[in-house]
This record gives sequence, C-alpha cells and structure tokens, in this order.
Amino acid sequence: MRVLVVEDFEVLARAIGTGLRREGMAVDVVLDGTDALDRLAVTRYEVMILDRDLPGVHGDEICRRLANDRSDIRVLMLTAADTIEDRVEGLSLGADDYLPKPFAFAELVARVRALARRANPPLPPTLSCGDITLDPARRAAFRAGRRLELSPKEFALLECLLGSPGLVLPAEELLERVWDEAADPFTSAVKHTMHRLRAKLGDPPVIQTIREGGYRIGPQ
Amino acid sequence: MTGLRPLPRRSLQARLALPYAAGIFVAGIVVLAVVTLPLAGIQSTVPVDSSTPATITGTGDGIGPHRLLLGSAVALALLIPIALAAGWLVAGRFLRPLRAITATAKAISAGNLHRRLDLGEPADELTELGYILDDLFARLETSFDAQRHFVANASHELRTPLAGLRTLLEVALADPDADADALRSACQEALALGGHQERLVRALLALATSERGLTRRDTLDLARVATGVLTSRRDQATERSIHLTENLAPAVTAGDPRLIESLIANLIDNAIRHNHPDGQVEITTQTTSTQATLTVTNSGPVIPDNQLQRLFQPFQKLEPDRRGRGDGYGLGLAIVNAVAVAHHATLTTNARPEGGLAITVRFTHRQG
Repeated sequence: MRVLVVEDFEVLARAIGTGLRREGMAVDVVLDGTDALDRLAVTRYEVMILDRDLPGVHGDEICRRLANDRSDIRVLMLTAADTIEDRVEGLSLGADDYLPKPFAFAELVARVRALARRANPPLPPTLSCGDITLDPARRAAFRAGRRLELSPKEFALLECLLGSPGLVLPAEELLERVWDEAADPFTSAVKHTMHRLRAKLGDPPVIQTIREGGYRIGPQ
Repeated sequence: MTGLRPLPRRSLQARLALPYAAGIFVAGIVVLAVVTLPLAGIQSTVPVDSSTPATITGTGDGIGPHRLLLGSAVALALLIPIALAAGWLVAGRFLRPLRAITATAKAISAGNLHRRLDLGEPADELTELGYILDDLFARLETSFDAQRHFVANASHELRTPLAGLRTLLEVALADPDADADALRSACQEALALGGHQERLVRALLALATSERGLTRRDTLDLARVATGVLTSRRDQATERSIHLTENLAPAVTAGDPRLIESLIANLIDNAIRHNHPDGQVEITTQTTSTQATLTVTNSGPVIPDNQLQRLFQPFQKLEPDRRGRGDGYGLGLAIVNAVAVAHHATLTTNARPEGGLAITVRFTHRQG
C-alpha cells in the first residue's frame, strides 16, 4: 500500500513515516503543499495523510483539487483544529476521514487501513485465496493454518497480489505500490522478493509468473 | 439567554404618557376656560336685563350658566381618557426605536455579534444611540474575532509539537528491535521538542503579561537594558555571521524593566533571525527633548509595505517557511507591540527599500 504523508512539522512527519513503514506500507513524506502536488502528479497513492495548515499550497486547496480531478486517492486530514465546524468543513472539502492532533498512532494506522480497504471494489478486512489468508491489521499471513514468517516487503507483496486475485500485476506496478520513492525503478527488487516469498509459501506454488513480467495469484 | 429578568415592560411609556395626558388635559381646561368664562359673563347679565321687552331678547331659553358649567365638566371628564389614550400612543411611538434596540441588544451575544440594529442614519437621539451601539458591536466583533483567531493559532502551535512528541515516542517504543542508539536518538528529539514547547509557552506568557498592562513603573535606562540583551545575543549573531552595531546613548524612561527587556530582546532576536548571512543589525538609543527612543535596524529580505501591519499580529509570519517551522512562532513583534502599548510608547516601523526593517520605539520621558 502506497501512502503519502504531507505534514510541515518535520519531527511528526518523519515519525509517522517510520511508524507506517514498519507496518509494511510504502510511505513518502513531504513537508509542504507544493511538493505534495508534484508527488501526486507522478505517483499513484492509495491513501494520503494531509495536514491542513501547510506552507506552499494549503491543505484545503489540495483537497479541493483532488475532488475536482475525481481522484480515487483516500484523504485522511490530520490537523490541530478539532471543533465540530472544522471537522465538518474538512470532510465537506472532500476528505474521507479526519483525525485531530494529538492522536494515538495505533488509531492512525487503523484509519489508514480502513481507508485503503475502501478500494474499488472494496476489500475485506482479511484477504484470502485458496488456503492462504492474510490479515493486514494483525500483520499475519497463514497457509493452511501454518503461520508464515514474512518480511515487511514480502508481506506487502502478498497483500497486493491477494487484493486483485486472478489479475496479472506487472512488476512495475508492484514496485510502485510496495516500495517507496527511495527504490530504483530499474531494480530487480520485485524479482528477488518474489523469489523469497515463493520459498516461504512452499508447495504447491500459488504465484504464477506471466511471460511479459507480471505475476498472478489464484485462478485465471 | 436564560436567567434574564423580564424587563419592566411599560414603565417608561406610562411615565411619558402621564405628562403627555396631563398636558393635553391642561390644554383642554385652558381652551374651555377661555371660551366659557366670557360666555358665562354674558349670561350673567341676562337676569339683570330681564326688564327689557321679551321681543327683543327672547327667542327661546339661552344657555344657562349651570348648563354651561355642567357641559364643561362633562367635556373635561371625557377629555381624561382621551388625553390618556393619546398620551400613551404618542409615548409608544417615540419609544418604538428604543424597543427595537432593546430586543436586538438582548439577542446579540458572543455567537452572533455580526447582527446589527440598522436604524439608519442618525436622525435623532435614539437612532444616534443605535448608530453608536452598532459601532460598538462592530468593534467587539473585531476583537472577538482576533481572540478566536489567536486561540485557534495557539492551539495549532501547541498541539502539533505535542502530536509530534507522542507519535515519536509511540513509534520508537513500538519497535521490537529498537536498540539503545535508536531509543537515545528518539529521546534527544523528544527533549528538543520539549524545549520548543517551553519557548513557545514562555512567549505566550510574555504576550499575556504585556497585554495585561503595567504593574510597576521603575526608572530605567534603555541603553543599559540593550547592553544586557546584546551581551546574551552576541554568540547567536556570530553563529549566523551577522554584524551587530551599537550606538547607545543614555535614554532614561519609566516602565516595567522585565517588559522593556522582553521588548528589546524580541526586537533584536527578530532582527537577527530575519536577516541574511553577513547582514547588519544596528541598535540605537538616544534622548530627544521629550522622548527616549530605541531604534533597531536590520538588513534582510525586502518586505512589502502592505505586510507591515500584519507582522504585529500574533502568529503572523511573513512567508511560510518552505522547510517546516523555523525557530520563530510569529509572536516576537506581537509582544513588542503589546509592551509598547502598555507603556503608551509609539511604535514606528519602516520597511527599508534595500531590505529589512527599521523599528523605532519612542517612550515619553520619566513621569513623576
């Protein structure tokens, strides 16, 4: 899951980034509105955590532009203003959720996950395919009742594949959704991680490699 | 609004109606007297002239004096309710704008200060009162808005570092593989955030104290206070390679030494902070015949004239720093302004065409 964090208070922005990465998300952090718009123009994010009072371009303006473009990114507004009027205004600008500061980090993670589930079509809280099940909130994956010890990247890769069962996902798309901006676009990281994931999943093999560089899980 | 006692509804109208009624009644008596008394005089001659031939006088019974007096009494009796009713109506008409003012003023509270009486241009005493009240509501609204703005800003400035602190510690503690180094660096960041909060709270307290006004008024020399502040800021200036120039002649005035020190410290901090490397800060104190003045001039970015007033509002920064919050909160010049107002000093700000600011504070000489 690819997440964009837009927050001008650097300590908070970095801490959110670190925490979400540890939850297996691919996170990019920017500190102002202008950078956020640049980033949104080139990368497909599933969820954006947006501070309202931003330098550069105001958070409200970013929200308005996304609503105008009918973007399918889900926006969680994170701000210090917590009166009912502020929340109503934020949500009516096009935000999908609103969390006032200060907040509990566990709640932020739960809300980001809830927003990510609201994909089109909606995803169930627990993903499964055949005898594999994956619970994103508990960060646990099982095959035939046996718990799989997966690294964060392997877990995120499996989560991505289970989210679109039967569809071919090109390696570039997996790279964009599972790795953050620090990843080299020409890397073979997907290939290597996929190799380790397959080894951990064991037999019989469930992930198919499609000839033009894509992967698929589940029946065609 | 609950708990408001119902106003005595009609007392003023009744009190105004009575003199009006009395006036109308007295006017009635005067008119009757003027008309009746001469007539009564004429009638009174009738019995004396009764010897004259009836053919000359007698076309019928004249109005007898008794009947005339009786008629007058009846007319006067009838006049009482008429006068009272007329007085009541006239008083009610005059008091109508006052009722409108009362009703609106009762309805206006902190939540709907945008409401106005709107009695139109001042034409008489009551509409003038309405006009003055509207003006008062407008000023109250501005001040309430400023207050609300301030609270919203203060809450933003306080909550964001709190959120940062909490998230930083939660994320650090949730890491199962955190080693001592990772935890140590999280602690150091938490300490730095604590320092940031401390400075912000100190600045807010300074602002609140200076807005409260003067509690003491000691004789002090601006030059000596400035020297003290400059000594503690020298390292900071050297670090940013800013050249401090001082031109300190004795300038004696009266005021609260702590507030004056905070004014000078904020002016100098501001001048150092909003400067460019190898910039200049010049501090001048002098005495003129009537005033003790302090001037702080600094080089720095060019500031548009129309932005100057905004800088003295709390939490207003010139341009949002692109790299997150700098070390300022936008409170420094607001504190300077509040201290100057508390001392009845005049504050003059000029944006220098070559960039930077020149701020002069003029204190009146020591008063008794």
